[in-house]
Amino acid sequence: MEKGIPMLDQAYHILFTASLVVLAIMIILCLIRAIIGPRIADRIVATNMMGTIVMVIIAILAIMLREGYLVDICIIYAMISFLAVIVLTKVYMGVYREKKEEENDGSH
Amino acid sequence: MEVIEWIRFLFGTLFILCGLLIFLIEMIGVFRFKYVLNRMHAAAMGDTLGIACSLIGLMIISGFSFTSLKLFCVIVFLWFSSPTSSHLIARLEVATDEKREAHYSVINLDDTAAEQEQAGRQKHVAEQEQAGRQAQEKAGRQKHVAEQEQAGEKEEAVPSAME
Repeated sequence: MEKGIPMLDQAYHILFTASLVVLAIMIILCLIRAIIGPRIADRIVATNMMGTIVMVIIAILAIMLREGYLVDICIIYAMISFLAVIVLTKVYMGVYREKKEEENDGSH
Repeated sequence: MEVIEWIRFLFGTLFILCGLLIFLIEMIGVFRFKYVLNRMHAAAMGDTLGIACSLIGLMIISGFSFTSLKLFCVIVFLWFSSPTSSHLIARLEVATDEKREAHYSVINLDDTAAEQEQAGRQKHVAEQEQAGRQAQEKAGRQKHVAEQEQAGEKEEAVPSAME
């Protein structure tokens, strides 16, 4: 962001850099949650949160570097993150049902 | 002109810091809650309000441009997609949780209504039975009294025959 006022430019730079650092720390916390999450739903929720935070990071970078096309990547990332959640839940539901059916066949 | 730029910076900073604060609260909630369905409540907050605040701050900083419109599109898309994905994750959790009594209790409204109806019917039957028993007892007592009276009459009658 360059407005022609040196102090304002510096302030913007500090704001964006600080936000990026805080968001990066939050992504690491999300990863920890995804690793220690006892159930599969915990991991999917953590993945979803990570996607949201990455979207904010991409948007901040788009404004910071004055590259408007990075926001398109942000939209595409939102769509792919949504798709990932749907696919993961469907796949895990199918895996669970198969396991149940196998157990039922084994018990008979 | 310089003052307007500073005011814009101030409002943008305010919104971005608000968004970061909401993400921080989300993280605290995700690590403090004990169960997935509780954690999802905290996680959904960042998906809607956190990203909305951050992107509105960036829209204020970016000004009236095509980039702002695209950021707005991201917010609208997330407002539609976040409840859907939360619903899917909750359904997955409820369908695959095998020890659900340890985490939450299920209230089946149809079953509760049926149980109450059954209990009411049982109570009604019990009352009827009690009433019947009381009537029987009363009748038995009356019969007993009548027999005694009859016996008394016989006893009375016997001496008269002796005479």
